[in-house]
Amino acid sequence: MEVDSQKLQRKQSTYLSFDENFEIQKEVYRGQQYSQIYFARLHMMRTLLYSLVPNWKPHVPVCKVLGLELGKVCIVVGTLYKHMKLKPCILDEYSKERSATPLVKPHNFMHQDDYLVLEDESGRVKLSSAILSPSVYVTGVVVALLGKETSAGDFFVEDVLEAGLPPQIEQPLKSREDKYVVFVSGLGFGSSSANPLQFQLLVDHITGHLGDEEEQGLAAEIVHLVIAGNSIEISRGLLNGQNLDSKDQSRLSDPIKGLDILLTQVAASLPLDIMPGSNDPANFSLPQQPLNRCLFPGSAIYNTFRSCTNPHCFEIDNIRFLGTSGQNIDDLTKYSEAKDKLEFLERTLRWRHLAPTAPNTLGCYPFTDRDPFLIDSCPHVYFVGNQEKYETRLLKGSEGQLVRLICIPRFSETGVAVVLNMRNLECHALTFGTQFS
Amino acid sequence: MATTSKNLKGIYRQKKNNATGGITKSKSTKKASPKEAATFGSDITQPPALVSHGGALDLKDDFDEEEQVLRQFDMSMEYGPCLGMTRMARWERAQRLGLNPPKQIEHLLKGGKVKLDSLFDGRI
Repeated sequence: MEVDSQKLQRKQSTYLSFDENFEIQKEVYRGQQYSQIYFARLHMMRTLLYSLVPNWKPHVPVCKVLGLELGKVCIVVGTLYKHMKLKPCILDEYSKERSATPLVKPHNFMHQDDYLVLEDESGRVKLSSAILSPSVYVTGVVVALLGKETSAGDFFVEDVLEAGLPPQIEQPLKSREDKYVVFVSGLGFGSSSANPLQFQLLVDHITGHLGDEEEQGLAAEIVHLVIAGNSIEISRGLLNGQNLDSKDQSRLSDPIKGLDILLTQVAASLPLDIMPGSNDPANFSLPQQPLNRCLFPGSAIYNTFRSCTNPHCFEIDNIRFLGTSGQNIDDLTKYSEAKDKLEFLERTLRWRHLAPTAPNTLGCYPFTDRDPFLIDSCPHVYFVGNQEKYETRLLKGSEGQLVRLICIPRFSETGVAVVLNMRNLECHALTFGTQFS
Repeated sequence: MATTSKNLKGIYRQKKNNATGGITKSKSTKKASPKEAATFGSDITQPPALVSHGGALDLKDDFDEEEQVLRQFDMSMEYGPCLGMTRMARWERAQRLGLNPPKQIEHLLKGGKVKLDSLFDGRI
């Protein structure tokens, strides 16, 4: 019998990384506080908003907070601060009267008495308005406001200008072939809900070890795998400061070893990016630095293996991808509300800031001269990992920007990975089940 | 422990005596140790005030005009917070953000023997 010796070739793509913006090796800590990063953020955003104001409301004077006059309509640009009654405060622990503060923290800290304050370097002013809803905004967003000072000393807001979607480099999408990028997050090796067989099935599918020629043909069109955080979950009981015996030491390293074995299979076959998440052995504050290559002795040898920062920004075939492992959106969920996670994603793009709640409620490195979370160029694909379910939407901007928003679900809980076609930015889910019904 | 009135002339500013103006040499600054004082001539509790420049007190210790200019730079709001950064780093940041900080500050910082850290460094 003649053996068909024609091998299927995997498609290739170009890759460019823009992660050096998120790297902190060159930063030196000199005792600075977070006022520096807020100053950099306000300055960059204010310069941008001042350039947009003449198109929005021409002939209205612009002034600083200290320059507000009673009854005079003007535009003021500053950072929003949301005063939240239920937000946990370290000083509550020291207060003499132990009021009924619940032991279990609420999932969302919103309260109907929350109010917004606008702040710039000259001062702050309380905002009162019918149109500016405190449930939508969070501390750290920079906006331009049109309004006037009232006799009560508040600033009554009549209109809001957000920065809006950043400009996007146009990519001709028509003349392309089908090339797929697979996104997965929340693998959770080491957790009780993770089933290694599910990820093995995913790896087998991507590397072309599953299915007939047609399936393998589809798998050959996958050019990249992105793992968006929380690949490992180390049992908290082991991390209580006690010395570990050899059995516990192996429990500590087994998840990482198991992950490395599977990643070696992937790296041998196609390029992969692994990002750290909130449960991974990386630093806590954003931007999280790449996972150390020593953790992956098997897969790090391959040049297809890339350990990346969180947030992660890269380009494949000139299509720009930007995304995080979920901490920024999870924090927005705690301090504001929206109808779904995609709306939070859209808001961060309109505010041109990946993580506006950093450093207020989200751990962040105290940068002095820049804010690395500002989004200058609109991505074509904007993703967030470790969410409850798979959701996606195509967002159209006012200047012709087109962004595919993706919420990647936790693989250990759902068995769902996301596949994106770079030809038309269409998305579909890839579900792996191991139960026999 | 109070000094007697004989010594107060050395401490407080004197009116200029000569009508022609010009710098007069400072009056004698020696403090005669008073017999009634409890300090017996020790100057530890009340060191003699530095008197120079025609009787004016020199309260500036190690801070001259250049430092004055640099402190004004530290305190100016438009270049952002000054804590936790060297003055040169803050100047460079202002330059990079397009705030046009005065070139004079750059020359001062690169040139002379000025303090490289901001006004509040080490004090907050």
